[in-house]
Amino acid sequence: MAVTALAAAPRRFGPSGPLVPRIVAGLVLLALWEFVVRGFAPDFVATPSGIARAFPHVVTSGPFLAAMAQTLLAVAEGLVISVVAGTVIGLAMGRSTLSDRVLRHYVSAFYAMPMLVMLPLFSLWFGYTGAARLATIVFAAIFSIIVSVGDGARSVPQDYLEVAESFRAGRIGALFEIVLPASLPYFLAGLRIAAGRALIGAVVAEFFTAIGGLGYFILYNSRTYHENEAFVAVLFLAGFGVGCDVLINWATRRFMPWYRRDETVA
Amino acid sequence: MRREAIKRHAPFVLSLVVGAAAWEIAGRHTSIAFMASLSETLQRLWQLTLTGELPRQALSSATLFVTGLALAIVVGMPLGLLLARLKWLREALDVYITILYATPMVALIPFILSLMGFGFAPKVLVVFLFAVFPILYNTVEGARSIKPELIEVARSYRSREWALWREVMVPYTLPFTMTGIRQAIGRALVGMVAAEFFLSATGLGQLIMNATQNFDTGAVFAAMLVIVAAGVGLMRLGRTLEAHFARWRT
Repeated sequence: MAVTALAAAPRRFGPSGPLVPRIVAGLVLLALWEFVVRGFAPDFVATPSGIARAFPHVVTSGPFLAAMAQTLLAVAEGLVISVVAGTVIGLAMGRSTLSDRVLRHYVSAFYAMPMLVMLPLFSLWFGYTGAARLATIVFAAIFSIIVSVGDGARSVPQDYLEVAESFRAGRIGALFEIVLPASLPYFLAGLRIAAGRALIGAVVAEFFTAIGGLGYFILYNSRTYHENEAFVAVLFLAGFGVGCDVLINWATRRFMPWYRRDETVA
Repeated sequence: MRREAIKRHAPFVLSLVVGAAAWEIAGRHTSIAFMASLSETLQRLWQLTLTGELPRQALSSATLFVTGLALAIVVGMPLGLLLARLKWLREALDVYITILYATPMVALIPFILSLMGFGFAPKVLVVFLFAVFPILYNTVEGARSIKPELIEVARSYRSREWALWREVMVPYTLPFTMTGIRQAIGRALVGMVAAEFFLSATGLGQLIMNATQNFDTGAVFAAMLVIVAAGVGLMRLGRTLEAHFARWRT
């Protein structure tokens, strides 16, 4: 189980090495995109130059900023709910065999389920409102938190707990002082996955229910033949995804320098 | 021994029973337009199977899933090996692959829609885009971890490029590719549902959408059950495949 929580972590494949071939390849790809679209696709299709032209006025426009604020607030709210509830359930599953046996199959079935499938149901239950979006975000994010916190809580070395016991630490004390800190790297690995899934959850909920946000911004603009404008929002979404990754990786290295991912997985 | 087995499985069985009972009670105390009970769901599942509606739509979904995933494997694996073999190409492209991997693919669906319309091809493209990156990523990872000695030995026996791929690169990388395929299976399933919801409605996605519009929650749950069962079964298959090939992973 420990391996699954960390398997998605970034490895050696990734940005490192000389800069020049990278920039050249980027320019070639952009040029290819530009010329293929200009030559073979209708006028409204997004091109790099069109996106670059649209960028300044989109990022300063009121509707775009409002949409971004809506989506990010909903994602943040959903992540807070998922982290609090997911940590509680994960700890319970990691430290108590009974609750693990009771809950495990539900959690893994819901985790394996494409969250998109819940959309019609949430729209029936919560209407075409922000609550449906929040429910989708929580559903998308919570199970990876549960699974990874559970893995982390299970992986706490027995020695630590025995030492705590011999120093007469209570069960609750040991939970907060030992189990929680020890499962922190697992939690962060789970949070990385959860953050990405939460963002996707928000976007698909907005596609489905047409409530305001970045997803709806993309949908509306691409339907009204403003693809360049819509693509600016996609860039921001990708940026948030990458940003979350970088931030959490940095936090892991900065605050848990003793934690080496390679060694734990192997 | 038997007592031990009972002690082990009782909580799970009990939790299933409690879950089923809770579903049944919740379903009976709410309107059918809100939530169908377990018995109503199973009834609807049986009806839909008898009328042929469910098997037909499931087959349509499966076709989409398999086509997209197969395409992702056929493209992802050779491309991954090529990137691993050609250092300059890998160094030039890795940032862009990482960025595309991190981009939420769902956000691209409106663009695919306006470019390619409502046919089968754009839906396959969506499934493909969801599935290809984990395969590509893991294959490159695996191929890069090949010990240089292996390639040097092959070279010193005057192995040609083709033989090198067939005898060294592919066998060594296969376990890593399998990890990628296991991840890709889950993502392809999401892509399948996304394509069926947001492009032209077909398959199980269409079944769910139509049932939602008719407040037929029994059919919604029935189709969801099928998708969850398929998801869990496919994950298990993926893990078995991965474990099988992991045996010669060193």
